Amino acid sequence: MEALTNLLLGFSVALTPGNLFWCFVGVFLGTVVGILPGLGPAATIAMLLPLTFKMDHTAAIIMLAGIYYGSKYGGSTTSILLNVPGESASVVTCLDGYQMARQGRAGPALGISAIASFVAGTVGVIGLMLIAPPVARFALRFGPPEYFALMVLGLTMVVFLAGRSMIKGLLAMLVGLWLAGVGTDLFTAESRFTFGHMELLDGIDFVVVSIGIFAVAEVMVNMESRGGTELFKVPRGIRNLMPTLKDLKDCRFAFLNGSVIGFLIGVLPGAGSTIASFLSYGAEKAFSRYPEKFGTGVIEGVAAPEGANNSETGGALVPLLTLGIPGSNATAILLAALILWGIKPGPLLIQDHPALFWGLVSSMYVGNVMLLVLNLPLVPLFAQILRVPYFILYPGILGISVVGVYSVSNSLFDVWMLGLFGILGYAMRKLDFPAAPLVLGMVLGDGMERALRQSLMMSQGHLSVIVTRPLSATMICLALAILIMPLVNKVRSFRLKAVEQDV
Amino acid sequence: MKRSWYCLLLITSGLVLSGTGDFAHAAAFEPTKPIEAVVHTGPGGGSDIFARAIAELMQKEKTISQRMQVVNKSGGGSAVAMSYLAEKKGDTHTIGFFTGVWVTNPLTTAAAKVMISDLTPIVRLVLEPAVFAVKADSPYKTMKDFIETAKKNPNQLKQSGGSVTGRDNLVRLVIEKATGAKWVFVSFPSGGERIANLLGGHVDAMVIEPQEAGEHIKAGNMRVIAALTDKRLPSFPNVPTLKEQGIDVPVIPQARGVLAPPGVPKEVVQYWEGVFDRFAKSAGWRQYLEQNQFEDGYLKGPALNKFFDELAVQMREVLKEAGAKVVR
Amino acid sequence: MGEKKELLSGICLGAFGAYVSIEALNLPYVSEFGPGPGFFPLWIGIGLTLLSLLLILANFFALTPDESRERQSRLSIGRALVGWSGLILAIGLLQWLGFGLSLALLTLFLILVLERRPLWTALSVAIGLALGFHVIFVLALGLSLPSGPWGF
Repeated sequence: MEALTNLLLGFSVALTPGNLFWCFVGVFLGTVVGILPGLGPAATIAMLLPLTFKMDHTAAIIMLAGIYYGSKYGGSTTSILLNVPGESASVVTCLDGYQMARQGRAGPALGISAIASFVAGTVGVIGLMLIAPPVARFALRFGPPEYFALMVLGLTMVVFLAGRSMIKGLLAMLVGLWLAGVGTDLFTAESRFTFGHMELLDGIDFVVVSIGIFAVAEVMVNMESRGGTELFKVPRGIRNLMPTLKDLKDCRFAFLNGSVIGFLIGVLPGAGSTIASFLSYGAEKAFSRYPEKFGTGVIEGVAAPEGANNSETGGALVPLLTLGIPGSNATAILLAALILWGIKPGPLLIQDHPALFWGLVSSMYVGNVMLLVLNLPLVPLFAQILRVPYFILYPGILGISVVGVYSVSNSLFDVWMLGLFGILGYAMRKLDFPAAPLVLGMVLGDGMERALRQSLMMSQGHLSVIVTRPLSATMICLALAILIMPLVNKVRSFRLKAVEQDV
Repeated sequence: MKRSWYCLLLITSGLVLSGTGDFAHAAAFEPTKPIEAVVHTGPGGGSDIFARAIAELMQKEKTISQRMQVVNKSGGGSAVAMSYLAEKKGDTHTIGFFTGVWVTNPLTTAAAKVMISDLTPIVRLVLEPAVFAVKADSPYKTMKDFIETAKKNPNQLKQSGGSVTGRDNLVRLVIEKATGAKWVFVSFPSGGERIANLLGGHVDAMVIEPQEAGEHIKAGNMRVIAALTDKRLPSFPNVPTLKEQGIDVPVIPQARGVLAPPGVPKEVVQYWEGVFDRFAKSAGWRQYLEQNQFEDGYLKGPALNKFFDELAVQMREVLKEAGAKVVR
Repeated sequence: MGEKKELLSGICLGAFGAYVSIEALNLPYVSEFGPGPGFFPLWIGIGLTLLSLLLILANFFALTPDESRERQSRLSIGRALVGWSGLILAIGLLQWLGFGLSLALLTLFLILVLERRPLWTALSVAIGLALGFHVIFVLALGLSLPSGPWGF
């Protein structure tokens, strides 16, 4: 089997002491970067680029890739412990992960996150290895109408995130969509809702909004009452700090779900790991036996999105390595690095540089194992953070929030926005508005609007293009089905109530 | 009393003389701390890669004594980067890497208040050529084929590109004006998406840089049907230019170069000119130009200023024709 | 008591929606091909206004499940707002005093005023946090944070 020989070649490259060392450096750095809110893998890879010029290219790409997928492991740590999304893809993890921490189950949450990341990450690499070329060709069939349909499908996830009041969920989503529109319009170069501030010309950074609405608001809610010394109960004993066998069993579907959805979304250039995590969460909730429990600390609600954002990295490398098309910021820098070293990614990369490609793929297997070994033992350690008394933790969280936001573009304006979104998030909490739909709207708003306008540009104004193409039509039907579902359920429950009353 | 006055006089005249002595040998500028190189894209963007490559080359060849650090100031096209540089008035350790966007952006965006004439030009380094590419299995073998089809079916053909004020669209507009053909322009923010849409058949053509196109052509996915330059490109000797194919339009250059904040002393400008003079002759730079298929566009001094002025005039005209809002 | 929330949020969002719609009308609704920059914001604004009305109405007809909510104590909201003002103040000081000092001051404020803990605790935590942040973020990770007159 060709794949096997290639893999052997790959491992012979990946398992050399030098490459192993750089792999470790990469995944370690990646984990650290992921844990820190705000600082993302893209910026880190860019910062380290000059150091790689003297290195052997294979070692260098192994390290940089390690940072990339390693960061997805760390992102869940602060999400679970502090309700601070470490990375945009970890926002969904905050929903159930933080609730689990409040119930004393921070350990299992962190643990399942690492395990899900490992499983899905490995599946992603397998996908990259086995089915990269055909999947890449399939991804090319996604044009603007398909992207629009995908974004609409993503937005229907609000149905799963809205909690009790759909109206409030929709309102939050609309605000998120509006926030996404602030900035410069791509097509006409007109500026929208920038209030004359030049800093807003590029739009509002997602990190600022998510850290403000989640972290700062959370701190404010907790400031309402004078705290005791301990934040949450942290159970003692290793057994309580790890996911149980039952947990693992419950998450079987979540592992699968996260891996598949993450990988497929990753292959599409432009669709990011955030969308993957939302879709995976929604799918998990849709097929769960107890959907109403999601949002209160359900372990699958952590496993699914965390898995998704890891297998997405494997998927994102597919268009990069097979077509030379980067799918996201971080992969764009990896592309740039390859170009700078004189290696041209593209359809011929696998042929021209087999040692590099297969070495990289093999190193990703190794990297995922390293990350699991690195992260699991750290779980009890991280869980101890929750023992820190309130009054030390809260200024600390605020400090981390400011650092995280400032590190994005060194802009004080962003930090002011953090304060603004902090109080907005607090108001939302007080008025019972769910935060997740707002984030969802913000993440998808840009992409959706762009895809719609691109589609209309292509079809000269005919909306029908979205339903006449098979792929997009399928997704739109699915979206409609999801939207109608809660209504059907309501009707059904009315009917049941009516029947009960009759009897 | 008289003696102390005399001493004072001696001392002050001594100081003054030594001062003028210093003025006579104006100290040549040498950087004493790391240089900040401002780019208007985020990490991984075109300018970012360009600046990093130059920083690396300069480090290797020891053209400058200090480290060059790339600072990303993305936002509003080039607005944030330009205004950052304008604020650093007189700063001797900051430079900026400009592209054509730095000239056009202030023309269309009201909030971009800093114009390129406000900054201190140092040198233009390269001209990035572009080619017109279609999918390999499309029926268009020459530019003429494409134009003919576009003329017969107005607004049916599609081209993917970047912002509507970017070069991709401006090329389309000048060709449309010269030939009467009309086709649709679809904006995609990232280069990857533009290529993906072409390869996926969702658009029919795109304007692309030769080094990007090269890989896809080798793999048999793309075909180049016109070189958007004055002369044929060395990497595509069989591809005729627009002019050769009978389409006489001005070449819209994508220039890249270096400039400095306003109010920078003459010695600093001279220093940088010297650095880039040496740099442009170095073997590493020549190799870089070849690898990336850039055209050597070395230009400095008054010729550079003239280039900026002419470019601004040309851009204003083209943009107005395009119906884009020109605010300056 | 519960209705107040819906009423308040309904009015605010309705007003916001109206504002967005009006601003959106200033932008071109259609552009060369297809919807222009004003298209989406207009519909978002309309959606916001309509849904806000729905929210207010649904409340009057008690269609939303009315759970027993504890009375929001003015005091608790007040405390949160005081903490927030501290944060805003600290952000304002970032430019002048730098990150380290601002964080220390914010910590002092939060511990002394909100938590009413002894001065000694407040000082040690404030200094500890500021130092810790400096070591981890500036020295070890090389991030650049706003620095004040004394370089941190």
